Amino acid sequence: MAQAATNPTRGENSAGWIRLLVFGRSPKRTLLRIIVLVVACFVVFRLVLLPIRVTGISMSPTYKDNSINFVNRFAYWRHEPQRGDVVGIQFAGPHLMLLKRIVGLPGETIAFANGRILINGQPLAEPYEKGPCNWNMPAEKIGSDEYYVVGDNREMPQSLHMQGRVERWRILGKALL
Amino acid sequence: MKIVVKIIFVGALIALGIWLWTIFFPKPETIVRQRILKLAKIVSFTKGEGNFSRVAAGERVGGFFSTNVEINITIPGHESDTLHSRAEITQAALQARQAVRELVVKVPDTQVTLAPDKQSAVADVTVDVEISGERDAIVQEMKFTFQKMDGNWLITKIETVRTLN
Repeated sequence: MAQAATNPTRGENSAGWIRLLVFGRSPKRTLLRIIVLVVACFVVFRLVLLPIRVTGISMSPTYKDNSINFVNRFAYWRHEPQRGDVVGIQFAGPHLMLLKRIVGLPGETIAFANGRILINGQPLAEPYEKGPCNWNMPAEKIGSDEYYVVGDNREMPQSLHMQGRVERWRILGKALL
Repeated sequence: MKIVVKIIFVGALIALGIWLWTIFFPKPETIVRQRILKLAKIVSFTKGEGNFSRVAAGERVGGFFSTNVEINITIPGHESDTLHSRAEITQAALQARQAVRELVVKVPDTQVTLAPDKQSAVADVTVDVEISGERDAIVQEMKFTFQKMDGNWLITKIETVRTLN
């Protein structure tokens, strides 16, 4: 009988503990916190930090296939993109984008000579570029509102690699990680 | 309290009315978007598709285009292609279904710009194509030109857009 009397009490305690864990001491405050959290997540991950999954090997070894990253849309709020930045480049919208590195700035002349990038005729130091490369490309002038972007994986054939001049409006933001 | 309930009820009725209006009388931009999504769905196929549905889908693809349609597709690393009529498009759709086992076309982004006369529209579209046997998906920006003909929005031109120049 004693055992039978104690079981409901334990059950009630357990239910109360779960209720406390789920709803908190004040359900109204918990609800408010949830709403604030959801709104904050929505604003951050839709407008500020776009979560992306990297697919393909064009940014290897810096970013591996299937790795997760974020594109910071506010990175160029106060200043323009810089050389060496890895940026998200939009197609028709923000749901799919290219991830490339900026190597050429507006107004510069860019060329590839035996795998080396030449900016205004001078070789560009690229510590992120690890593999052997034999790409060649004649000198090309970058427009006043354009940037030259290329992936870090220069071991792959140049014909299969997307690179080139991109208009400023297409640059969505900078890779966070 | 009764007034609050009445206001909420009236608000809900207005919202329902607006929603129904957009369903029954969609904006041209919405129709164009829906046409593109529908085309992507019809062009896609899985390996289990039967011969009858394969031919039917190929025929249905032609209905999305005007008779004088012009398609120019140039994808880096792939063969470029030009098509000029509904018959050529239908043929190409059928050939694609024979050449590969599975093809999935997705359209994650569509930006529609309507002409001032509201009789034509240009849609800038991101197309994501997954082909069975290919490791990477083909992602390409494309421009679709639509014309309103006999009440239907038909595609008159498709061309690839070079995201990087």
